[in-house]
Amino acid sequence: MMNVKNLIKKYDGKTVVDSVSFDIPKGKVTSLIGPNGAGKSTVMGVISRLISRDGGEVTFQDQDISRWKSKELAKRLAILTQTNNIQMKLTVRELVTFGRFPYSGGRNTKEDEEIIDQALAYMELEDIQDQFIDELSGGQRQRAYIAMVIAQDTEYVLLDEPTNNLDIYHASNMMKIVRRLCDELGKTVILVLHEINYAAFYSDYICAFKDGKICKFGTVEEVMTKENLSEIYKVDFEIMEIEGRPLSIYY
Amino acid sequence: MNHAAVRANQRKLVILAVIVLLCAAGFMFYAVNFGNPKLFRYAMKLRTPKLVVMLITAFAIAGASLVFQTIINNVIVTPCLLGMNALYSLIHTAVVFVAGSTSLLATNSNLAFAVDLVLMAIVATIVYSFLFEKTHHNVLYILLIGTVLTSFFSSIQTTMTRIMDPNEYDSLLETLVASFENVNAEVIVASLVVLAAVIFFLRKDLALLDVISLGKDQAINLGVDYDRCIRRLLLSVTLCIAVATAMVGPISFLGLIMANLSRQFLRTYRHSQLILGSTLFGMAILIGGELIVERIYHYAVPISVFIGVFGGLYFLYLLLTNKRV
Amino acid sequence: MHQLGGIIIKKYGITIILAVVLIVLSVWSLFIGVLDVNLSGILHGDMEQLEIFLISRLPRLLAILCTGVGMSVAGLIMQQLCMNKFVSPTTGATISSAQFGILLALLFMPKSTLWGRALFAFVFAIAGTWIFVWFIQRIQFKDAVMVPLVGIMFGNVITGVTNYFAYKYEMSQALSTWLVGHFSMVLRGRYELVYLVVPLVIIAFLFANHFNIVGMGKDFSKNLGVHYNAVLFMGLSIAAAITASVVVVVGSISYIGLIVPNLVAMFKGDKIRGTLVDTALFGSIFVLVCDMIGRAVIAPYELPIELIIGIVGSIVFIGMLLYRLNHGRKAIRLGGAGNSPCASAISTVKGEDGK
Repeated sequence: MMNVKNLIKKYDGKTVVDSVSFDIPKGKVTSLIGPNGAGKSTVMGVISRLISRDGGEVTFQDQDISRWKSKELAKRLAILTQTNNIQMKLTVRELVTFGRFPYSGGRNTKEDEEIIDQALAYMELEDIQDQFIDELSGGQRQRAYIAMVIAQDTEYVLLDEPTNNLDIYHASNMMKIVRRLCDELGKTVILVLHEINYAAFYSDYICAFKDGKICKFGTVEEVMTKENLSEIYKVDFEIMEIEGRPLSIYY
Repeated sequence: MNHAAVRANQRKLVILAVIVLLCAAGFMFYAVNFGNPKLFRYAMKLRTPKLVVMLITAFAIAGASLVFQTIINNVIVTPCLLGMNALYSLIHTAVVFVAGSTSLLATNSNLAFAVDLVLMAIVATIVYSFLFEKTHHNVLYILLIGTVLTSFFSSIQTTMTRIMDPNEYDSLLETLVASFENVNAEVIVASLVVLAAVIFFLRKDLALLDVISLGKDQAINLGVDYDRCIRRLLLSVTLCIAVATAMVGPISFLGLIMANLSRQFLRTYRHSQLILGSTLFGMAILIGGELIVERIYHYAVPISVFIGVFGGLYFLYLLLTNKRV
Repeated sequence: MHQLGGIIIKKYGITIILAVVLIVLSVWSLFIGVLDVNLSGILHGDMEQLEIFLISRLPRLLAILCTGVGMSVAGLIMQQLCMNKFVSPTTGATISSAQFGILLALLFMPKSTLWGRALFAFVFAIAGTWIFVWFIQRIQFKDAVMVPLVGIMFGNVITGVTNYFAYKYEMSQALSTWLVGHFSMVLRGRYELVYLVVPLVIIAFLFANHFNIVGMGKDFSKNLGVHYNAVLFMGLSIAAAITASVVVVVGSISYIGLIVPNLVAMFKGDKIRGTLVDTALFGSIFVLVCDMIGRAVIAPYELPIELIIGIVGSIVFIGMLLYRLNHGRKAIRLGGAGNSPCASAISTVKGEDGK
């Protein structure tokens, strides 16, 4: 269980997250959306302990995340941000191996190796497992990082704009992977997304931010209405239905 | 890394070690009179401390440079480029300045070394943490400010030396700051103790280097107590630089050359191999370079001049080709 | 009428204050020194005092003024032409190239006079600056601070090569005079070369508008019918020649060309003609104050001015960098961006009227 209560974050005296409270539904995909600067990525950073907060509580499995031992938390919660600039010469397999670090501390058992093999297979990376990360395409690299998160074997997976810098083909593949993480592996997935329609099509819940506050929070159908979206983004919207799911058109 | 690559790197390291041994043998035995035991012992007595100093220096600078590069996640920055060794020289001079040039602190090098180390650990940690924080980890600004800090520290240091002895500041400077022509062999034992202590007490943090090289977010995600670990690693860097500077004085570009040669040669992320490779490169450069300086240039041109010219060019090359700056 | 007076004071206030401060400090500095020299002594015709005054004190003051004016104006010209606030004789390889030239003069023409060495220094300083500017214009830099970083390292490499030759031919002792700038050797008959700064600064003043236009870019200057390359190279050569004549007489003086124009621009804006006089005045005050500190700290000995400037200048430079990083990247300026000093003066005057 993960609950956020009255979360506050300030940068240089300016409040960017203003007493935000919500509960994250377990075993579901929840997308955080909103305009630039609405505070969605900051909330993501705080609940994953990457960013310190200025007030409020983030409770994970009945204990505040600041009181968790970092290593124990790493076995239960994984975060993937957009800032993955590695200057090292690192192969795909080596990167995925790092996912086992919270368990093995760098000395892998046979079981660890098996989990790494499975993660590579799940992301269809076996053929390129010995290539260097910096020689891969954007989509392949993103898949390698997801494989690492899978190897980390956590209940909760937090992804900060996983479709960033990917073309349409790789972006929609990425969203399908997100869906599989939830449906097949039973993980609770929380994402920050820019593209509303990916959120509408692939997630169960949407949490919409505006000016550092939660504007709307509910199931996809509840949030994806003409009025709500116009209020959040200050642009005119139309809602259509495709494969039984609401999709938005804006202009 | 698959096993073949690991073995390939091990082979490369062995080759490097052999080159270092050859250089060391050349340095020790070139133009030595083996026939005359007295002359032989004399030559050994002169050359051994210098060789040991160079070996320790290479290790200290290699370790410091690679750890530092991982801390700030960039391969063209080294602690020496940011003036850390100038800071050590300044601290040493300041201690003698305050205590007086005839005090115990000025005459007993091991005591002075201990005091310097403590001050260095405190001052350098404060200065460089402050620098990282104020520049928001912007590498270009860190580099430029670090370069300016180098001249700031050495200006203060020279000023102090001149105030202490306006007439003979040159010779005073020579006793205060070591160099390759004038290595400080008195602190060899103390240096080894310090390095061993650093490795022992920070072994857990050093083991995390591979994970930290993934970047701050990934390291935290994988359960590293990041801020504490970085503080402790920065402390180890300052102590290593202090050891190297105490023995041979400031040499700005050596760390940069060693660390990047090692990265290009070994193409791995494993810090155990990278540090070892970098140490071996450093040893080869220092001992081989000293051999050339002594035998070809007959001591006329100090090795630091060569390191400065080639290091500067290498830095420009790295700076202009690095995509991430 | 009253309002007009206000505008004039607003517009030239800083200049007037700087000029007064400079005069007071200059007169004061004439009477600091190991040997006692006072006004009554000179007026009463004390030959010994008069001699000290004419052989040592006055030349020193003049050399200091020329250095301050020259280095800061050289920095201003280079910054304007390169469109980068961090280019200067220190960060543009000019000083190190001049030193390299002096070394070669010492090496190949051991009997050369001061003027002979100056010629070498001129040629090398100009060549070094040209090469540097040609180089940075061909590379796309993501951040303007990359330019000074490259410049400092480029300078370090040249200094390294200079050191190599100096050590190899046992010239390091002779060269050290030119490495750390100081005024203690400035005596009558040995410093007059520094006066070259005066005509060069006057030329710079006459061409100030051209430099401004060239600073706006190649297309902009073509549009206005200004010959871009010719003006660029002329400007750089003037800056390099000023630097070289200072280096030959007093040695390396860093940071002035870098920080003085920036500090003045913080208060006065960027137009070269409007700030040239202030920059020159402030530069000479800066050098004069540093020199007086250097003479006071360990009197009767003195510290080389380069050390004082190295300490003060690096602190100011670091402050400038942090300011730029935290307050926008376009310019280092305290006043309103883009406002000419005149316009802002009028608006403040209006504001006062409104009250």
